[in-house]
Parts: sequence; C-alpha cells; structure tokens
Amino acid sequence: MSVELWVAIIAGALALAAPLVLAGIGEGFVERAGRINLGIEGMMIMGALTGVWAGSLAGPLAGLVAGLLVGLVLAVVMNLLVYRLHANEIVIGLGITMLGLGLSTYLYQLWVPSGQTNVAVATVPRVDLGPLSELPVVGPVLFGQSPLVYLAVVLLVVAWAVMRFTRFGLAVQAVGTDPASAALRGVRVERTGASALLIGGALAGLGGAVITVGTIGSFTPDITAGRGYIVLAVVIMGRSRPIGIALGALLFAFLQSFALLSQSTSLQLPSELYQSLPYLVTLVVLVITSRSQMRRLFKTVRPA
Amino acid sequence: MRLVRALDRQRWVLTAAVVVSIILIAGALIVFAGADPLLGLQGLVEGVSSSPYRIGEVLVGAVPIGIVALTLIPALRAGVFSVGAEGQIVVGAIFATAAVFAVNRMLDGAAPAPLLWVAGLVAGAVGGGLMALLPAFLAVRWRVNEILSTLLLNYLAAGFLGWTLRTWLATDAETATPQSDELPDAASLPSLIPGTRAHWGILLVVVLAVVFLIWQRSAASTRLSVFASRPKLALRLGATRSRTVYSTMLVSGLGAGVVGWIQVAGVNDRLLSSVSGSVGFSGIAVALLGALAPIGIVAAALFFSALTAGAVGMQSATGTVPSSIAEVIKGVLLMGVACIAAYQRRPAAVVAPAEPVVADVAAEPVAAAEAEEARA
Repeated sequence: MSVELWVAIIAGALALAAPLVLAGIGEGFVERAGRINLGIEGMMIMGALTGVWAGSLAGPLAGLVAGLLVGLVLAVVMNLLVYRLHANEIVIGLGITMLGLGLSTYLYQLWVPSGQTNVAVATVPRVDLGPLSELPVVGPVLFGQSPLVYLAVVLLVVAWAVMRFTRFGLAVQAVGTDPASAALRGVRVERTGASALLIGGALAGLGGAVITVGTIGSFTPDITAGRGYIVLAVVIMGRSRPIGIALGALLFAFLQSFALLSQSTSLQLPSELYQSLPYLVTLVVLVITSRSQMRRLFKTVRPA
Repeated sequence: MRLVRALDRQRWVLTAAVVVSIILIAGALIVFAGADPLLGLQGLVEGVSSSPYRIGEVLVGAVPIGIVALTLIPALRAGVFSVGAEGQIVVGAIFATAAVFAVNRMLDGAAPAPLLWVAGLVAGAVGGGLMALLPAFLAVRWRVNEILSTLLLNYLAAGFLGWTLRTWLATDAETATPQSDELPDAASLPSLIPGTRAHWGILLVVVLAVVFLIWQRSAASTRLSVFASRPKLALRLGATRSRTVYSTMLVSGLGAGVVGWIQVAGVNDRLLSSVSGSVGFSGIAVALLGALAPIGIVAAALFFSALTAGAVGMQSATGTVPSSIAEVIKGVLLMGVACIAAYQRRPAAVVAPAEPVVADVAAEPVAAAEAEEARA
C-alpha cells in the first residue's frame, strides 16, 4: 500500500474519531461520577438529526449548538427519571436509546418523505492553515482537518484540567469513589452526579451533530450505527481518563478508516472482515484492559 | 397497612400518569404529522384486527420477542444484563439453516419433516448457546462487562451473517437482497391457523411460559434473586458467580438461537440478512415490561407486536404518520415502566444498602413480581 493511502487512512481516522472523543469525554465524567449512560446512542442520533435540521435553517454552527441542546434535554429527562423517580439507570438508558432511534426516524420521515431527495447541508468549513497544510504527510494529517477535530483536542485538554484541578472535578471523583464519604465531606452527591450526566448528554448530542454537520452533511436513519455503544466501550477501556478515551477512540476510528479505504485495494480478504475488524479489536482490547484491571484489584485485596 | 395502601394509591396515580403521557405523546406525534389522531387510532385498531391474517401477523411477531424475553428471565433475575440476543439469533439462524440443508442433502432431499425440524431446532440452539457462552466466559474469567461484550459481539455476528450470505450459504438465483436458497418444503413449520403466517412456533411460547411459571417457584429461581442483591449470601446457598453467569446466559442464548431457527423455518423459509429484525432489544424491553413474570411477558410481547402491526395500519390509514411511531412509544413505555417499578421498590430500598449498578437491575422487576404475588 502506498504512502498516500496511509496518509488518507490516518487523516480519515482523526475525522472519524472526533465524535467518539467528544461523546467519550462526556461519558468519562458520567462514569467517573459512578454512573453509566446507556442512552448515548439515542442522544447521539437525535443530535445528528437536529444538527442537520438546524444546519439547513441557520448554518452549520447553529446545527452544532442544536445537537448539543437536544442531548442536554434528553439528559435532563434521564436525570429526572433516575434521580427524582429513582428508576433504574440502565433501563432508562436503554429506553432513551430506543426513543432516540425511533423519534429520529419518525421526524426524519416527516421531514423528508420517502421518494424525496435527502436534505444536504453545508458542513463546517475548513480553516485554511496556508503552507502548513501543504507539508508532506504531516500536512493533510494534522493541518487539513475539520475545525471540529481541533475542538475535540481542546475539549480533551479542558476535561483533563477540570478533572484534575477544579473543585468540580474532585467532587465528581469523590462521588464516584465513595458517595457516602463524599456526602459527609459536604459534597452534594445528587447535584454532582446530575451535572456529570448533563455534561455527558450535551457532549453526546454534540458528537452526534459532528457526525452529520461535521463531515457527511446529511442525515439517514440509524446513521450513528452503534457508535454510542463504542463510546461506552472506549470509556471503559480508557478507564474514564481523557488520554485513555482518546487512544481508544483513535484505535477504533483508525480501523474503521482502514476498513473504508483499503478494502477496495489489495489483500483479497472478504469486506465483512474489514467491517468487523474495529468491533473485534475493541472487544480484544476490552478483554485485555478488564483483565489487567482485575489483576490490580486482586493485588490491592491481597498484598503480596 | 396504611403505608402500604398509600403506596398502592400512589402507584396507581403513577401508572395512570404513564398511560396518559403515552397517549398524549402519541397524539402529539400524530398531530405533528398533520393527521387526525382519531383516524390514526382507527388505523391502529384495523392494522391489528381487521382480518384473520392481521391477527396472525401479531402472533407471528410476538413469537420471537416472547421467546427471547422468557429465556432472559433467569439472567435478568440474577442481574446479568445480556444484550446479545440479536447476535445469538443470527448465529442460531445460520447454524439452523446450514443443518437443515446438510441433513436434507445427506438423505438426498427425502428427509422427513420431523427430522428436519429437530435438526434446525438443535442446531439453532447450539449456535445461540455458543454465542452466549463466549461473553459468559469473558465475564467470569476476566470480568469483562457483559453489556459491552454482547453489544460488540452483535456486530461481529452481523458481519459473519453478511459473509455467509455472500459465500457458503448464498443462493445461486438472482435476488435483490442477499439470501440463502429456499428451505426444502418439509423443513418449514406448518401453519397453525390456515390463511395466516401463524405457525407452530406459537405453541413453543406457551410451553416456555408454563415452564418458567413452574421454575419461578423453585429454589434455583430464588437463589438467582439472592445472587442479584447479596452475592455472598448466594454463595452460601451454592450459587457461585461462574455457575450463575454461565447457566443464565446459556439459557438466554439457547432461547435466542431457537428464535433464529423459527424465523428461518417458520416465517421467511430462507435465511435473510434481516433475520434478527431488532428483536433482541425488544426482547429485553418486553422482559422488563412484563416484570420478569411469564404471563406478563407473554402479554407484553403481544402488545409490542400489536403496536408494530398497528403502526403500519396507522401509516396506511393516515398516509402521513410514519410507522416508526411504534418505536417511540415503546421507548417511552419502557421508561414509564421503569419508573413504576422503582416506586414499588422504594420501601425496601430504605432498609437495603446501596447495591452495585448492574446487580440492581433485576431487583426491581423481581420486587414488582413479588408485589403482584402478594396482592393475589
């Protein structure tokens, strides 16, 4: 395989990783707070739909904001049911996913009745970085990306700093580790958990909008294709740490990009193998990380 | 007593609130689509009941959901949250199709029907069971979260199915969608109600419901409930983690694998890429909706299937309302039921300490089922 192809694969991987990283940062907060959001898939797809809809009315930036807001609204609903009505988190998460997948299809079919051509919107414009983007290899990979990729990197650093240096970050970790002690030390457990969930929802919605408004420019039902679940896997693999999440997302996105671009060339392997590869490798990495986590757990229990 | 009665009343209020909000949401969605809600309702009823064929379709649709949900009872009761039915159905269907063709070829196309049924049933169960044992092994051996491993395996199963339908089980005929050859006539399940697609698989749902009704009263069932809330106590009762995870996931895998065979032999007469038809997720929703009680699950499966069929009727009656309205209502319904279940559990939660998230899942529907029994 040629150098150009590898450059295209890696550049594509960064673009594909952006939505995963954004949603993953949010879910990182949620899981650090000791909760889990199985509704990510539903929040992402609703973000993807409203992103295109708002984008067609008022431009790509409005689309991103709309996606973020929809994710936030769904997270508010989820928080209300889980905290106020004490419903089970996992069941509500599955319910939100079912609702999001159904509602996005419903609204889309009303908006674009079957037989009509799909609505396409302008994607977020690329920033011209001048001579930088013309550098060989590094240029297209690092400097030819959509601004949303840079946004993901910035948010990654922000998330790391928030988790590490702010009162809120410490509160989230305290609540996740030992809610009872955290409450004794004056941390508002419910409010902290709710804030984490709202951040998670908003970023999941934004991640969904990034898929459509960021790169593709249009919506089709089931466009997220299980990315919400991948986000969950990536966050668990990365132990809810920003750097781990970024690496996990990049791994999955790299394999996806590889599958998209290289199955037409060489090797003569069945295309299904390429398409399954990202999921297979994610599973393998999940097994490896779970295994090492379990080992560490046993070490702390029985000191050698 | 007064407390119990007050809780009872509050629960009825909450249930009524859930029902009303579902009706309001459905109405709002129909109005939003520019249609008359009453016309929509009429379409819904007609879609379910206007002809024997339609009724048969509701039954046919309820079979896979019902079997998946029923065989999920032990896993959910033990707090093992397997979402792998989708992939297990797919692998079961592939195994069953291959076995039927293999047996038929061995006997030069003259295989008797019962032999082909047994071959399909057993192969389907084996396929689904194997597909369930893998995440069980990963969960027991290395504590891999079973929700994530089963979700990822669903995608791998879909890839395997795509490859299968392009290569070793693909039909030679020109077809619009990838599919296998048509099964030999003897292999397909006979129709139970003439003039409909309702097949003998319906009886299997009834049998399973009865089996689980009896099983519910057994010590094994109680052990699983104990395992969900107090794993250490369960250990003393003989329910180790590995035994519990393996056995409960195996049961759900066997059920899903059999569903794979039923969809091939009873409904489509061939292996299609849409064989699982998102039944896997509906199965979990239905199991929780039915409060993990067999009768409740059968009713919920019928309701889900009727909703899907009715939404198609609604689409053709109004012309504008997309049938995906059914999925929205199912999602809202699942959340509503989770809220009601939480209300029943509240008094117990005051006494019991906080439990781990995953183990918590089964506790609620169980509490719901117990409350039902107590009232009866």
